Amino acid sequence: MPNLMKRLRKLKTVLNVRVGTGAAIFPSAATATPEYPAVTRLHLTYARKIYGGHQGARHFWRNCLTRLKYHNPGVPMTVKQTENQEGPASLTVYFAEKLSKAASLNTADKDEHAPAPSATEKTATVDVRNLNYTDIWMKVKNMTGAQEVAATEKEQEELQKIEQEAQKSVKDRARIAAMRQAKLDHERMLAAAKGEAAKLSQG
Amino acid sequence: MAAPLFSGYQQARGAATARNKQAVERKKRDKAARSLAKGKKGPREFKQKSLKDMEQFALCDAMRYLRAFEVGREPAVAKYEVHIRLKTRRDGPVIRNMIRFPHSVQTESRICVICPPGSRHAKEALAAGAVLVGEDEVFEAVKNGRIEFDRCLAHPDSMAALTKAGLGRILGPRGLMPSAKMGTVVEDVAARVGMLRGGTVYRERDAVVRLPIGQLGFSPEQLRDNLRVTIDQVKKDANNLQDRITKEIYEVVLSSTHGPGFSLNGEFKSEDTVDPALLTGA
Repeated sequence: MPNLMKRLRKLKTVLNVRVGTGAAIFPSAATATPEYPAVTRLHLTYARKIYGGHQGARHFWRNCLTRLKYHNPGVPMTVKQTENQEGPASLTVYFAEKLSKAASLNTADKDEHAPAPSATEKTATVDVRNLNYTDIWMKVKNMTGAQEVAATEKEQEELQKIEQEAQKSVKDRARIAAMRQAKLDHERMLAAAKGEAAKLSQG
Repeated sequence: MAAPLFSGYQQARGAATARNKQAVERKKRDKAARSLAKGKKGPREFKQKSLKDMEQFALCDAMRYLRAFEVGREPAVAKYEVHIRLKTRRDGPVIRNMIRFPHSVQTESRICVICPPGSRHAKEALAAGAVLVGEDEVFEAVKNGRIEFDRCLAHPDSMAALTKAGLGRILGPRGLMPSAKMGTVVEDVAARVGMLRGGTVYRERDAVVRLPIGQLGFSPEQLRDNLRVTIDQVKKDANNLQDRITKEIYEVVLSSTHGPGFSLNGEFKSEDTVDPALLTGA
């Protein structure tokens, strides 16, 4: 098992799942309004490599989708990675019963990889090619009326602490690298001097 | 004048030898201490860090995080894993065993059984869930390159026929050739088929037992059942070792295929846990 300090440090990354871009709660059946119906499912399709505008979609999965999943544990989220670099990168949002007003404005083609909606679900497909992940998140937020979860004071503090530690590690890394380099230089110098001495004694 | 000098010399020598003796003894002691230090490979027990600073989680909370880390993965492929840290000596016997979970973790593995067709064993093996049972037909299929199974068992009665068929060259490199050493030649074929279908092999390495205990789609209750069975069995294994060996469970960590490890506090849920029913499926 990795040592305890490493594990403790690793566990701090859990904070990144709770707060950040995409940390928000979708309207559920209990909190749905006529304007924003409940979100029942999400599906994302994008191609394996980043060229052709698929980068943002992948980043959305990595950054936002984990946070969304944490705050909406009951909403199934699926991701399909295709081999078709020219194909679409699209996000399908499934609403209960009807689309929200903002979602109905989307006219992207249906995603063939997305699971079929049930009888009570309506889907809205967003074309996310050539968008970065924050843009995708803004679109999703506007469509669904998701309520963002702000970081608490304690979490803010912890985030700051992690940030400070990261800055300190940059400095420390430079300092240690300099020390190691100095030691190497010293050794090299000694070896060279030894070589010279050997040459002199031979000659 | 010569005598005292001589004796003095003698004395000096004697004193020198006495001092030498002491020195030799001291040297011996030093050497013994050194060799002890050299021979001893660190502490006898694995070092156990205090878990005072370690944040510990209830099962449902850990699952909620892990499911977030595994978002978008295939729920049957991504697995929950458990790491059981033991308090144990560095040397001595280790725990190794096989376990059958109440909720099967592996997606169905297909098992072939080589035994005389039509025998009682053949019928039992089929009943236990083997997909391919027989002798000649199996050999024929394998020779034609149709290997449609991922585990292979044999009954001792069929061993002669198996060696004669000369399948070692085909099955051997795939690790499918039955042999008594691997425990794949057994009398009670049916029981072993049952074991293999839902069984997982685990062993202790560097004081940690690691094994997958559930698919990501499992509900918290299913995972709890599997976890309970695992911990009970590891405890039982530890008790079944020789009398003088004591092993205790020190920490239980739940992790997943792509997620970090969460130390568990033994609770099922905490106050701010979401409804466990939400933590199921994709």
